[in-house]
Amino acid sequence: MENNFFDEEAGVILGLGELRVGAYPMGTIGLGSCIALILHDQRRSLAGLAHIMLPESRGNTERPGKFADTAMSVLLEEMENLGSVKCSTTAIVVGGASMFEFSASSLNIGDRNIAAVKDQLHEQRIGIEYEETGGKVGRSVYYWPEGKGRLIVKRADGTCIAL
Amino acid sequence: MELDPIHKDALAEFGNIGAAHAATSLSQMLMSPVEMTVPEVLAIDIAELHNYISNEISAVVVFQIQGEIADGGYVVVSMPRETIIQLTNQMLGTTDTDREINEMDQSAAIEIGNIMISAFLDATAELLGIVMLPSPPALAIDMAHAAFESIVAQVASDVNDVLIFNTELTSEAPPVYGSIFMLPNVELTQQLFTMLERLMEPLA
Repeated sequence: MENNFFDEEAGVILGLGELRVGAYPMGTIGLGSCIALILHDQRRSLAGLAHIMLPESRGNTERPGKFADTAMSVLLEEMENLGSVKCSTTAIVVGGASMFEFSASSLNIGDRNIAAVKDQLHEQRIGIEYEETGGKVGRSVYYWPEGKGRLIVKRADGTCIAL
Repeated sequence: MELDPIHKDALAEFGNIGAAHAATSLSQMLMSPVEMTVPEVLAIDIAELHNYISNEISAVVVFQIQGEIADGGYVVVSMPRETIIQLTNQMLGTTDTDREINEMDQSAAIEIGNIMISAFLDATAELLGIVMLPSPPALAIDMAHAAFESIVAQVASDVNDVLIFNTELTSEAPPVYGSIFMLPNVELTQQLFTMLERLMEPLA
């Protein structure tokens, strides 16, 4: 699949429900109602990314990256294992679009995902450094954890932002 | 989810009958021959979805399966934007292909989806001797994968893989390309297996 931002590097594209922690570039392609939650520890050039699909795990622990609550706790745990501390960690939240028009509301789960992820961040007292959520447009996210971190969000309508 | 070869064959045949009816209805609308591929039946881990569903800007028309089976999952018609523009032009007798998607294209996408999916569900339901009806359609014109995420979130909240039937339809004049997907949820998948086994019994 299209992966034009990571061509020359060992970037990892995360599928639905996956999560990773590391110092290498990470991304998700074709993000719709799902959320890309990035936790970044600037001091250690370390980041974690989860491709969150649903707001609540309801006790399901098999795929922590799939749900907002389990993704948050596992990301933090893995980052702490690598020496990261919560007070130097900030968050980036992208996604949660409502993709469908003329639709039964059940397909538009994006809003619930956004709320769940923000609740989790609030609970953990992690500040949101950048947020691009909601709307009606699909997005691809690319993140480089080095230093202050570098983010590219590419929207389906062709617009692109880089931080 | 492991699919045994017999289930896989039965499901492919089941999808084949539905897709053939959908292809016929598309062919009648276009008044031109439509080719279809042999349906693929795959159990895909959700984490691998992006390797199967493209990132191309497409019109994704989604129907929930209703009827005797309540909330049975989804059937989807996905067509790249060039195809939608071709189809609208064909129906309105216009020729401009180098333009943005407009409201007329959205209506055309929904209407074509409606006709194809009604034919698909009619034929498959008849085979099984049950009633399956499409819900009113929902439409996204965006990266196909982004649209599919919402559907997968509905069918795979408790499981980590989805069963996907996929058939591709093509016509040369006008140049049209589309895919039909069916994503039954866990309950419908089990019901399909049971019903298909029953259909095959006299041959065993």
